[in-house]
Amino acid sequence: MTEPPEEPAAPEQSDPVTRTGAPAGTDGRNQGPASAVAAKAAGIVPRSVNARAALAGVVVSVLLILAIVLGSRLLHNFDSALLPYAVATVFLAFGVAYRYTVWISAPGARRLLTRGWGSLFSAENFRKAPTALPKMIATYLGFQKFLGARSHARWAAHQLIFWGCILASLITFPLTWGWFTFTSGSGSGPGYEMRIWGFKILGFDSLNILGWLMFHGLDIAAVMVIPGAAYFLWRRMKDRGAITGQRFAYDMVPLLALIVISVTGLLLTFSSLFLHGGGYQFLAILHMVSVVFTLIYIPFGKFFHIVQRPAAVGMQLFKYTGRQDDQVFACRRCEEPIDTGPYVENLRGTMRDLDLGFDAWAEYCPRCKRVLRGSAYLSQVKKGFK
Amino acid sequence: MMGRTIFIDPGRCIGCQACVSACRECDSHRGKSMIHLDYTDEGSSVASLPTVCMHCEDPVAPCAEVCPADAILVTADGVVQQADTTRCIGCANCVNACPFGVPKIDLQAKLQMKCNLCYDRTAYGLAPMCATVCPTGALFYGTLEELQAERPGVQVADTFVFGESEVRTGVAMVVPADRVQWPVPGGLPVVEINGKDVRR
Repeated sequence: MTEPPEEPAAPEQSDPVTRTGAPAGTDGRNQGPASAVAAKAAGIVPRSVNARAALAGVVVSVLLILAIVLGSRLLHNFDSALLPYAVATVFLAFGVAYRYTVWISAPGARRLLTRGWGSLFSAENFRKAPTALPKMIATYLGFQKFLGARSHARWAAHQLIFWGCILASLITFPLTWGWFTFTSGSGSGPGYEMRIWGFKILGFDSLNILGWLMFHGLDIAAVMVIPGAAYFLWRRMKDRGAITGQRFAYDMVPLLALIVISVTGLLLTFSSLFLHGGGYQFLAILHMVSVVFTLIYIPFGKFFHIVQRPAAVGMQLFKYTGRQDDQVFACRRCEEPIDTGPYVENLRGTMRDLDLGFDAWAEYCPRCKRVLRGSAYLSQVKKGFK
Repeated sequence: MMGRTIFIDPGRCIGCQACVSACRECDSHRGKSMIHLDYTDEGSSVASLPTVCMHCEDPVAPCAEVCPADAILVTADGVVQQADTTRCIGCANCVNACPFGVPKIDLQAKLQMKCNLCYDRTAYGLAPMCATVCPTGALFYGTLEELQAERPGVQVADTFVFGESEVRTGVAMVVPADRVQWPVPGGLPVVEINGKDVRR
């Protein structure tokens, strides 16, 4: 099946703000129902949340600029050729802080954040499960085991993209901020020095394997990202489940951006090694434009899941802590376990925050809710064929 | 009132599971059925109830409202879609907050899934898989006028009572014509049905 036809699909692709009252301009994909509903009366994100988010964005941006100035030894080590990248990271910092603040202002996220951190810093957690957090970080954030349960191919492709992007970020961010400097007396051969904030960290021979790895770190990252992103792009064109409901701006653009960044990055190396710099300037501009676009896109599109995903660890820790105390909550009707007691109480609190006046229903398992509704329909509304 | 949607008539359901089988063919969750078919008074009655996502309109999608990861999309045409795979953290808030007991969760994959109103089909004007195969019309897809043309004298209710709250939905249930103004009971807190305590 290809793209849905224009007419029926159009409403879905149009700005859903009208329906959900989601924060305008925050995200092309999600209409942020949680945030939206908190603000449904106004139809927009409350002014106070917007103001707080903007303030958070400004503070984080200013802190980053200060870190750039100080880390580059008062711009002494700052490479002006990388200025567009550095400016983009400041926009990125603003966007992430803004979006993050809006996100955690919604009742569901705010409560989860509070309970997650509360679990982490509880004395009980340190005493009973001191290794739980590192294990969960490795499982959910590092190795992303849950993706393997969805599909091994998706897990492998995502791991390639994930570690490739981590590697690229560890190299490029400090470089663009002027935190890294590489110096050599001779320009090649022994005596190369890597410095961070002006302090010597590593001395190496630029012609040995370490030197090769240091200078080709971004090429290695690109070689990892390209097959991963290509697999997902192929999947978005072939997998019927993935195609259902996908949108170009939300699902395709991020993959295309990763591929363009990686391919142009590799071509820059190819140009300098084999073409004597032929086409280098054009490629450099294309590479820069794609990177800047991607950095600015991160807070407002699919890549925002990078920022959100750690919430999975907080949620797991919260539930894990409850299970340690054997606080399992059973369905009031069938006594099948629903979740931990603190989790159910937290959910009921979220529902009360949202003025969902049926939070007591959370104490029944899904099947019992359906059966009771069916029984009520049968006895009070309609029985049999008519 | 409402446009093309699903109308559920439990009185016609014979519990044949055809909808459950057909639901597996929906592309958005291929191979897994998202329909619940419950036998509400098993052992005493053959009554059964098919449950699809009711696509709540007011309050809009409680599942999405309680989601801490902003993962559940509500499209402009009123379809509450299953969780975005990149965002869903598998917390099960949606599962336990839904008053209709609809969303399912895969705890290994950390992923919520639910009925998407066969968005791959309804976006093209086709009926959802469940309504296509239902042999008795317990699941009917179309407009209210089309339903009434086929079944003179029926009315539908799109409002459900849960305690002191009402939930208006995009999917409706068939009710006797003289009770159309009466919102459908959500089921809780029900203490007794036919003299039997149903709380336990």
